[in-house]
Amino acid sequence: MSADLNYTSFELMAVTGARELKDGEIVAVGLGLPVVASFLAKRTHAPNLSIILELGVVDPEPIDIGSGLSDPRFWYRAKVHTSFADMLGMVLHKGLVDVGFLGGLEVDAYGNLNTTLLGDPKGKFRRFTGSGGGNDLASCARRTVIIIRHEARKLKEAVSFITSPGYLHGNTEREKAGLIGGPGRVITDKAVFGFDPETKRMRLEAIHPNTTLEDVLSNMAFQPIVPRDLPVTEPPTAEQLRLIREEIDPDRLYAGS
Amino acid sequence: MTKVTTLAEAVASIPSGAHVALSGFATARCAMAFAHELIRQGTNRLTVSQCVAGMEADMLIGAGAVERIVSGGGSRGRSGQHSCICRAIEQGTLITEELSSLSMTFRNLAGALGLPFIPIRSLNGSDILDRLQQITPPVVGRLTDPFTGDEWLVLKPLTPDVAVIQVQVADEEGNAWILGPRWDNEEQAKASKRTIVITERLVSTEAIRRDPDRTVIPGFRVSHVVHLPFSAHPSSVYSIYDFDEAHIDLYAEGSKTPQGFQQYLDKYVYGVKDHWGYLELVGGMQRMKELEADPVLGY
Repeated sequence: MSADLNYTSFELMAVTGARELKDGEIVAVGLGLPVVASFLAKRTHAPNLSIILELGVVDPEPIDIGSGLSDPRFWYRAKVHTSFADMLGMVLHKGLVDVGFLGGLEVDAYGNLNTTLLGDPKGKFRRFTGSGGGNDLASCARRTVIIIRHEARKLKEAVSFITSPGYLHGNTEREKAGLIGGPGRVITDKAVFGFDPETKRMRLEAIHPNTTLEDVLSNMAFQPIVPRDLPVTEPPTAEQLRLIREEIDPDRLYAGS
Repeated sequence: MTKVTTLAEAVASIPSGAHVALSGFATARCAMAFAHELIRQGTNRLTVSQCVAGMEADMLIGAGAVERIVSGGGSRGRSGQHSCICRAIEQGTLITEELSSLSMTFRNLAGALGLPFIPIRSLNGSDILDRLQQITPPVVGRLTDPFTGDEWLVLKPLTPDVAVIQVQVADEEGNAWILGPRWDNEEQAKASKRTIVITERLVSTEAIRRDPDRTVIPGFRVSHVVHLPFSAHPSSVYSIYDFDEAHIDLYAEGSKTPQGFQQYLDKYVYGVKDHWGYLELVGGMQRMKELEADPVLGY
């Protein structure tokens, strides 16, 4: 086993993200960690994974790391160059995207995400990116995986602006709003969360090695459901670390974004 | 018939108050030379629409040329936020009709198809929808699917007065190739009343006829063709040149404050006569040569 290997929390999160992807699925990615997770899954247990970029790219094999979706480095060796109407319309809106990765400024106890602003939406606030394809993935993907830093200011009981809906106020509210899918996992640098099947409130699923339950809970602004038995997140294998370090992100550029 | 004109003539065809769809996405195929000339001519009170905001939208908004933006949000990726857009929204000086990437695309698609509205699953349950519902006259509505009885959110189409599309190759009629991913440029051009094509390369119609598979915008939709190399600088044009990271950093730093942005405009927009003057100022032929794309990599 590899429990004694040295690895960063970024690498652990990327490996945990990769585990969410099954062979033959379609995944929509953007920037940073989800890109590493998806390429890692494709090179290990999911060789038939299809990776799509919302602006119109299918299955790229980049050899240089891009600064974002719009960087042609990210499109290299794609199988298809197409459009938003195709990727987000004919694939996502039609219900064919299995997994959408999402990140954000804040996430709440029901998986609602804010990427729009911090502060008081009706008063003083700081403006950020907004939706892009985030709202569309949150609304139409079969499941989403949220990647976020484990800090009390990011894990809130309620977010100040719902850019991308999770389970709204819980229970059946999401279905009633006409949305399909919903958040499946939340991966932070301290733990992995899921959602209670009934109430849809966030539920702790595993804590990362070298982290305590107290450390996890004291760095959140809400109380998640905590099950009696709490496994430890499976650490990366030597081969997964080699792929990330030597082939997928040799210059540690994704790790820094 | 040739539609080739100067950039100044093409820009002069756009009156203040017009709705302009822009082709950029973050730091790719942004209509930068167009934005410079529009600012120099003093055109203002524009409505600008763009699926994911690009650098040209940020510049036009910073320069005060825009009254209203219709977009799905956006940033420059790892190089940061569009500071002018963020500042204008924070200060309440920009009317925003904010959507998502797909809802923007659907509104352009509906416009292109001549549909009265288009149903969508996105936006439901979000605060984005909450805000859209407050806009008058309405841009969103609800209706019942006559076949299933399901309730759907519907969006109003976009029909911009003019689309400004930065392309790799076009002929004098405006038949234009877009290479690489196209985001919603095709839908924008086809939803708009007319299109201005800004092209890196001008080729004969015979060259277009030999490879019509690549043509995304047919000439009959185009009012002006502007042939201007490196006219998306510092953004990238896939297969022709890479983005200029150093100049984007310079813009990013300058645009963080209104004063810094004004200094940028004074030097790179007002301080030059035209696009050729700008290219000289940012490093001339030598710098452009360095940015030239590798034919295999495309960047």
